[in-house]
Amino acid sequence: MRRAPVVLGATLAGLAGVFAFHTHPTSGVLAPLPGAPGSGGSAGSGGSGKGTSRPSTTPSTSTSPTSPSSHPTSAPASSTTTTAPSSASATGTAIQYGYGVLAVKVTVSGKRITQVSVPELRTADSYSQTLATQVIPMLHSEVMSAQSARINAISGATYTCEAFAQSLQAALNKVHFR
Amino acid sequence: MAGDGRELGTSETPEAASGAVVHHSEPVMGTVVTITVVGGDLDRDGIRAAVDAACAVLHQADDVFSTWKADSPMSRVRRGELDLTRAPDVIGEVLHLCEQARSDTAGWFDPWAMPGGVDPTGLVKGWAVERARDVLVRAGVAGAMVNAGGDLAVWGTAPPEPVGAASDPPQGPSPWRVGIVHPWRADAVARVVELGDATGAGAAVATSGTYERGAHLVDPWSRRARCSLASATVIGPHLALADAFATALAVGGDRVLAAPWRTGGGYEAYLIRPDGSELATPGVATVVAPLPHSQRN
Repeated sequence: MRRAPVVLGATLAGLAGVFAFHTHPTSGVLAPLPGAPGSGGSAGSGGSGKGTSRPSTTPSTSTSPTSPSSHPTSAPASSTTTTAPSSASATGTAIQYGYGVLAVKVTVSGKRITQVSVPELRTADSYSQTLATQVIPMLHSEVMSAQSARINAISGATYTCEAFAQSLQAALNKVHFR
Repeated sequence: MAGDGRELGTSETPEAASGAVVHHSEPVMGTVVTITVVGGDLDRDGIRAAVDAACAVLHQADDVFSTWKADSPMSRVRRGELDLTRAPDVIGEVLHLCEQARSDTAGWFDPWAMPGGVDPTGLVKGWAVERARDVLVRAGVAGAMVNAGGDLAVWGTAPPEPVGAASDPPQGPSPWRVGIVHPWRADAVARVVELGDATGAGAAVATSGTYERGAHLVDPWSRRARCSLASATVIGPHLALADAFATALAVGGDRVLAAPWRTGGGYEAYLIRPDGSELATPGVATVVAPLPHSQRN
């Protein structure tokens, strides 16, 4: 039940930030994708979420073997969101996920998501809390990135992210944002 | 809770060119399914009726196939209390698809290897989502997406202005753009899949991986949880099979690429492996776009 996240964490420890196209010789039927994104922002660049604020509880990198050492704890605190007169907030449905319950709050101003937070997070045990504090901030950033990518949906939601995305969608629906 | 419907529901947006855009979230099948409809010529009542019918299809599938409901026909089949010949026809239909998926993946997707007897759960959600989408299509919408936690089926045009659009909305039919979450990069959607619908048959995307329900991916040979890839996305015509193929790739890794599923079915795969390398079947390049640099930072 809990093996996979640990395995992932072990992978993370050595590899986070590595994002180049390695053309490993594998079965010849595969083609490396064009457009190696080597110049993409590295983890922790903190630039993808314009006008967003990082969660105040940055994940610990020292307390758990599942925490990657290169996790973007060094992300600069970007400007705190100021609530413009036209902005609106809503909290999505609390969604159960594999290790607990979470709810996502979203603030939109005009057509931009200006803030995403997780005001409600209940986990089943200490392990889950470790996992959640590690995963949630990453998801936060991904939502912002997704916004800049102009997408209709996200695939590949993690066990936590699935609940995150659902609650976020519910919150967006409530503020009639699209 | 997902079962609390008060915060779910529907939001509608008037849209001059392509009709109203409706978003609806429905708690069903142990998750929340999000439906997006571009209304086209349908009026609001028509859209409402179509969404209701699509949701009904999802709930019907849940009632028949849920392995959490002890009295569901599927649970009774699993316990040997209900013979397949007396079970609802859709169970036979889904198990037939499961057999196809097992064969096409050379056994790496195997509902018969699940503890407690045959369990089509890994395929039936996608099957139901696709049926729900088809209800919307038959109702006459201009575009539809049914999304169950990132495994989704689309048809027709996307809304003119997706979430986060800039101030210059594209003209004409829009492809559905689906971000593939990177398994560990903090700030990245790894790729964006563009699903145009030139053939009018619709399209589907499913992703499985070590970071998604990792412990639920069971190696059919060892019957233990196993993951070889970081992320496996399959793009193709049918969500039920795409979901099964993605699961097989996530469990079996590169070797599953040699299985029969790749021959002729119109399915493509995009893989992010544990070392960060990305691989794709040749046809993927036409639908997967790297994020422009301007959108990466």
